[in-house]
Amino acid sequence: MQSRPKKLMLIDDNEIDLKINAKLINLANLFQEIIICRSGEEALDFLNKYLSTPELLPDFILLDIQMPEMDGFEFLEHYKDFPEKRPVAMLSSTLDFGDIKRAEANPYVIKLLKKPLSPSELEVLISR
Amino acid sequence: MKTPAVRVLYIDDEENNLQAFKASFRRQYEIYTAISAAEGLKILQNVDIQVIIADQKMPNTTGVEFFKSITQTYPDPIRILLTGYTDIEALADAINHGDIYRYITKPWNDLELHNSIKNAYDAYRSKIDLRNKMAELEKTNDELNRFIYSISHELRAPLVSVIGIVNLVKMEGLYHSSGDYWELIETCSSKLDYYIQKTLQYYKNNKNVAEPTVVDFDQLIKDLIEMYAHSNKETQFTVSIDQSVPFKGDLFRIEVILGNLISNAIKYQKVSEPNKKVNIEVEVNREQAQINISDNGMGILNEHLEKIFTQFFKSKVHHGSGLGLFIVKEALNRIDGRIAVSSDIDHGTTFKITIPNAK
Repeated sequence: MQSRPKKLMLIDDNEIDLKINAKLINLANLFQEIIICRSGEEALDFLNKYLSTPELLPDFILLDIQMPEMDGFEFLEHYKDFPEKRPVAMLSSTLDFGDIKRAEANPYVIKLLKKPLSPSELEVLISR
Repeated sequence: MKTPAVRVLYIDDEENNLQAFKASFRRQYEIYTAISAAEGLKILQNVDIQVIIADQKMPNTTGVEFFKSITQTYPDPIRILLTGYTDIEALADAINHGDIYRYITKPWNDLELHNSIKNAYDAYRSKIDLRNKMAELEKTNDELNRFIYSISHELRAPLVSVIGIVNLVKMEGLYHSSGDYWELIETCSSKLDYYIQKTLQYYKNNKNVAEPTVVDFDQLIKDLIEMYAHSNKETQFTVSIDQSVPFKGDLFRIEVILGNLISNAIKYQKVSEPNKKVNIEVEVNREQAQINISDNGMGILNEHLEKIFTQFFKSKVHHGSGLGLFIVKEALNRIDGRIAVSSDIDHGTTFKITIPNAK
């Protein structure tokens, strides 16, 4: 088997979705480790904390859009200044074309994935 | 019931007239008087005047000139012109440019002037009432749209979690572990999700028509088939696209229209039919796009053909949301498109759509 990326960072405020998606990804065996962050702030703190130890940083980020206080787009605004950037996919139940366009126009976002998360869709993305 | 005092401004360069006016009407109205157009303007700036009466013949500024000068700044008060003599030209000018409600000849008759002021005030009230009603309606409509939008979003998030859990159950091999309960949960969740998506489509269709964008029918139809045939791989699609000229139109609405029709063509197949077929033809010229979508599905009863585009119509046997074709029709109305349908129970259904090319 091809070496799979090691660490995924999952940013979502919804406890249930975190649980479902973490489990789905584990069952599909897509990553070796999942870093769970319950807000954009928590994710930024994590990234900044391990800036000097890049081996501890995630290889891929799955980012929810609708979150209280700092939403997905605001997170990306801060992420822009982060020196060790990794690919980001947004994850949302949105059907709003505005959100979809806005997400895919962002240079750090490779795709907007729709909830419910499909492991095979994610697999295609990370193998690119 | 005591009616609130009507605020009347009277402008005349003759002090005697101002006094006489005050003497006659001060009991009925709240009277403001001004000796010149400039003085009158000062009062307008400070008092919310409802009816203005101005003498035509004044030094510096005539009554009509004054009315003309305030058409933009004070459009609401109703204007009455007083003329000492019959000056046809001044009157024509007044009616054409000064937005005059009525003219009265001098010397005025108290009863006539009184009636005119009363009528002018009624006109003022209707104008303001209508404007308030319009604003209220726009606000209500806006709120309703926002409400539908946010409800659809808030409802959908937890529903999508439920669908995610069902997917997880499948992956863990538990789908058949409790009889058909999981399957039932999945069916109900998908149905609810479908309703929410239709509600959102309807909401978006209510918004204004977007700027026309380039539509590549070949790509669009491919995408839509992929999206809707995802859950049903049995149906054979034959697609022929004849697009040699560019087409411009409202991509979102065209997507909604074709998406609903393609999804229906897949959904309403005969269960017993071994060769389920959907045929899509698109022909684009400089004037319009002609799209035919036909299937060999279950067809539509003749007596239902009239009703299929009405909101919440559904047949007894195969219920959808009763919204799909209604949304198609509404979306077509918004972009000046047309739709025709022919169907029979033996051979299936054909929808013919025409959409003008915005170029």
